[in-house]
Amino acid sequence: MPPRGATGGAHPLLPVFALLGGASALVIGTAWLLSVPQVLPGFLGSPSAVALTHVFTLLFVSLVYLGTLQQLPAVLLVTDLAWRGSGWFSLPVFAGGATLLVWGLASGFRPTPLAVGGSAVVAALGMAAAQVIATALRSPPKDPASRGLVAAVCYLFLTVALGLLLAAARTSAGVATAVGYPAALHQTTGIVGAFMLGIATSGHKLLSMFALSKGGAVWRLRVATYLTHGVMAASVLAAVAPVFGGSPALSRVAGQLAVLLVAVVAALQFFEVGALLRRRLRKRLEAPVERYVLAHAFLPFAGLMYAVGWRSAAVVALLLGFVGLAVSGMLIKILSFLTWTRAFGSTRTAGAPPPLLRDLTRPWLEPVITAGLCLGALAATMAVATGSLLTARLAASALLVGAVAQLAQAATIVGRTLARRVGPATAVVTTK
Amino acid sequence: MTTETVLIELDPAVPASEVLEALKVVIDPELGVDVVNLGLVYEVKVEGDAAHARLTLTTPGCPLHASIEAQVVACLEAVPGIRHGCVELVWDPPWTPMSMTDEGKRQLGFF
Repeated sequence: MPPRGATGGAHPLLPVFALLGGASALVIGTAWLLSVPQVLPGFLGSPSAVALTHVFTLLFVSLVYLGTLQQLPAVLLVTDLAWRGSGWFSLPVFAGGATLLVWGLASGFRPTPLAVGGSAVVAALGMAAAQVIATALRSPPKDPASRGLVAAVCYLFLTVALGLLLAAARTSAGVATAVGYPAALHQTTGIVGAFMLGIATSGHKLLSMFALSKGGAVWRLRVATYLTHGVMAASVLAAVAPVFGGSPALSRVAGQLAVLLVAVVAALQFFEVGALLRRRLRKRLEAPVERYVLAHAFLPFAGLMYAVGWRSAAVVALLLGFVGLAVSGMLIKILSFLTWTRAFGSTRTAGAPPPLLRDLTRPWLEPVITAGLCLGALAATMAVATGSLLTARLAASALLVGAVAQLAQAATIVGRTLARRVGPATAVVTTK
Repeated sequence: MTTETVLIELDPAVPASEVLEALKVVIDPELGVDVVNLGLVYEVKVEGDAAHARLTLTTPGCPLHASIEAQVVACLEAVPGIRHGCVELVWDPPWTPMSMTDEGKRQLGFF
């Protein structure tokens, strides 16, 4: 049987809609933050703060994640995606459910929208996780990146399931008594299990491709994946020990172990990206790829915040800085690939070569995206740490500028692809 | 170490080197370098009026495979004298950046 180059992902429109939806959601979320900047230096458990957090984690990061999952597993596992049409159900259900959930949170944790929206989100991500697992069963993952991605998707599903459990615990004393209120477990599962592992695994593949960084050991990625499972086990122990009458000391030690392991996982990811960059043969990285790389600077920054006792600020640095910048970089690269493939993938006309991917973007928007999101994440972290309203306003403004530029870039990519209003392709290279 | 493309001719209507030259219009849209200078073309065989190219991609599962394959077939069939073009995608030996020609490396800023 001839080797496959095929990657039978879902219809490209599915991830394109998801990525555009995610970029739009970030604009809405940052505009909302600008209207209520006091949430950053205020109580982060307030309805507005929790709702804004879920705009970012669900409607931006997870929607982009879900869209990417319509293609990436097929690329990583080199096989056809299982149930290719299921995204037509899971993506709208997820987007609708997440919107309802955010509304329920913002309006004071109203039980009905939380239950309905949360159930829809769980159902959609459950289907996505099942799809990735079914795809992996067709072509078992052979490398740490592929195996880690499957695990990360499972953790994403677990995160939203825990979120639904939290909503139930808020409204039912019986549920609260039975399971406690595992907010920390929900947070750790999402940030470390789903997002950090997902970015590390998918990013490893994408950065290798975009930077032409081939070969090299991947032991850091393998160890980081195992340690992420360790983080989850320790976090579960810390959460359930008090519920089942375990000693508070056991819970505390397990929690501290989880934090220590998170630090090791973050360090491994930081140095793995450094190793990929050191052995790259493409010296000039494109701006979205640079943004993905820059995101990793927030890992030690978050660690510093945690070390000096600003734990909430550390979480903000991880989410807005590390996750936000990494996802933003991937979003632009993946969107240009998807739209290009859709428009020119079956072109068979000689003499009129299709455009280069970089011709689909407006280069001047890239530094605006990077500066806006980076400055915004830094300022938001400091606003949470210091309680400064002025810094919070700066953060919201910068994030809004970055988000608008990102949406404009995404719209440009789609618009230029559709209209094919691109410049001439690079001149043909001649061999000596 | 640059990978040399193997050229095979069996009563060819067109020299295989000419066919290889024609493939330089197929450009990887991500890297902006053509498939020949990227070192993706392992073999070109011309048998009568049929041209067969054996090529690889920079990574297995490359999302651009369909476009690159289609472009290569179109370019083969656009060569005067060639009526049938076909592509065989292979992964062995795997592509490495060192397969690129010096010109390809220069384009990507290796030097």
